[in-house]
Amino acid sequence: MRRWRLWLLMAPALALLLAIFAAPLMHYLWLSTQAQSVLTGLKPVPIGAQQWLRLWNDGRFWQDTWQTLRFSAASVSLEMLLGLAVALLLHQPLCGRSLLRTISLLPWALPTTVMALGWRWIFNDPYGPINQLLAVLGLGAMPFLSNPNITWLAAVGADTWKTTPFVALLLLAGLQTIPSDLYEAAALEGATAWQSLRRITLPLLTPYLLIAVLFRLAQALGVFDLIQVLTGGGPAGSTESLALYAYLNAMRFLDFGYSATLLLGSFAILLLLCGTAALVWRWSSRLQGELR
Amino acid sequence: MARMLLLLWSLGPMLWQLYSSLRPNEALSGMGTGGWTLEHYRQLLQSDPPFLTTLLNSVVVGASSTALTLALAVPCAYALSRLGRRQARALTALVAAAAAFPAVLLFLALLELARDWHLANQLLALSLPYAGLCLPLAILLLTAAFADIPIELEEAALIEGMGLWQRLRWILLPLMAPAIASSGLLVFLFSWNEYPIALTWLSRSDLLTLAPAMARIAGSSVYTIPYGAFAAATVLGSAPLILLMLLFQRQIISGLTQGAIKG
Repeated sequence: MRRWRLWLLMAPALALLLAIFAAPLMHYLWLSTQAQSVLTGLKPVPIGAQQWLRLWNDGRFWQDTWQTLRFSAASVSLEMLLGLAVALLLHQPLCGRSLLRTISLLPWALPTTVMALGWRWIFNDPYGPINQLLAVLGLGAMPFLSNPNITWLAAVGADTWKTTPFVALLLLAGLQTIPSDLYEAAALEGATAWQSLRRITLPLLTPYLLIAVLFRLAQALGVFDLIQVLTGGGPAGSTESLALYAYLNAMRFLDFGYSATLLLGSFAILLLLCGTAALVWRWSSRLQGELR
Repeated sequence: MARMLLLLWSLGPMLWQLYSSLRPNEALSGMGTGGWTLEHYRQLLQSDPPFLTTLLNSVVVGASSTALTLALAVPCAYALSRLGRRQARALTALVAAAAAFPAVLLFLALLELARDWHLANQLLALSLPYAGLCLPLAILLLTAAFADIPIELEEAALIEGMGLWQRLRWILLPLMAPAIASSGLLVFLFSWNEYPIALTWLSRSDLLTLAPAMARIAGSSVYTIPYGAFAAATVLGSAPLILLMLLFQRQIISGLTQGAIKG
């Protein structure tokens, strides 16, 4: 088929992709050089790099950056560990395995806002089930949603519950590509289960681990739904994420110029982290290739 | 043992919601034991707007987004799978990057789009951003499926004198049915669950989809306790999805895993 006809078939989809992904980022670049807020009567007024200076000096931005990074690091690493464990379990020949797979995927399929509301009730102090259990055990109640030192961990827990199944499914797909005779050969050589996990499973699973980390990291750095419904960013702003701060700037403070700057700032952090992760992986795999 | 733990971990929080939704509020807050009640569900169904309207809105948005996404993604994926390797690889990399992009970062620009084009508070218009956000995943899935179809099959049809449309309709689409079904289901799941854009595009309460409606029920205070009503809303809001998952488990799981392998 002629080349131009292929491009014609792709044109509508590519146009929508450009309009939804590329145009907004371009628009933010322009908007971040404007003041557009209540003070300017919601009209854009060019102000050069002032929004970026404001971002640099904004303590709340840096605090939210730290909180978003803390949340992402904790939840992504937990999800990878638990996801690997679940994937290994679901890979074994068990009876009722496909039903078990479906059930374990349910948390992922539910809307985040729905279960965030559910988790608010589960973490309730003192009537939620966890605190009732603690009371039965004779332990004190945990102020999950009102103590700034604990609440972010509650958010990590709720996020881990929801996204572990997704990670597990990705890794399960990877496990299914590893030929089983590798394990049989290793077993003949007298390898323990731990050794074959370490020497066969993990190396061959690396591409899938990388995809899962990159995808989850990008999503976690943009965390919004869960935080907004579970904690609203509180207590005392201790769980506010970058996306929530940008949202508040636009929708509550009606400061669109600064909101665009914050969104671009978050995007830059995301690019930096995911890019670094991908580069580190490429270098380390090249290094390993040379050592062999 | 490990299996029981996994079941408990996955189902426990949901079962707790089911249990709470059937208990009177006094029993939930430790005052009196109380029996079982359907009161929370009755309230929810009679609330204004009724919860069923919200669910129906989500179905409308989900169905239109799925249709639009597939209508755009199928031809695009076909062309991408027939394009030269170098160009296809570069495009695929861009599409994969878009698939991982957190949609919430786009909300402000999309909000201005809605304002400039008068798309706010229109359910069907929501399928525009939703299709845009779902296209990357759908394109990846469908391109991989098209690439699996042997090219000889199409060449034979070409020799028979079939045009592009005929080849698509009679040869390719029937073979693509499983991949189209799983991408469609994933798009539907996405639109059912999407929050930030629905939150900023819809303000009329009778037009809200499920996710923003749940957030509105949640209100702003962490400390109030109409938890029976919350729990009933959680149960009713998840029930359709759980049903969908159980009915189409194979398609959804294969869609997700294919996305991972080929993407």
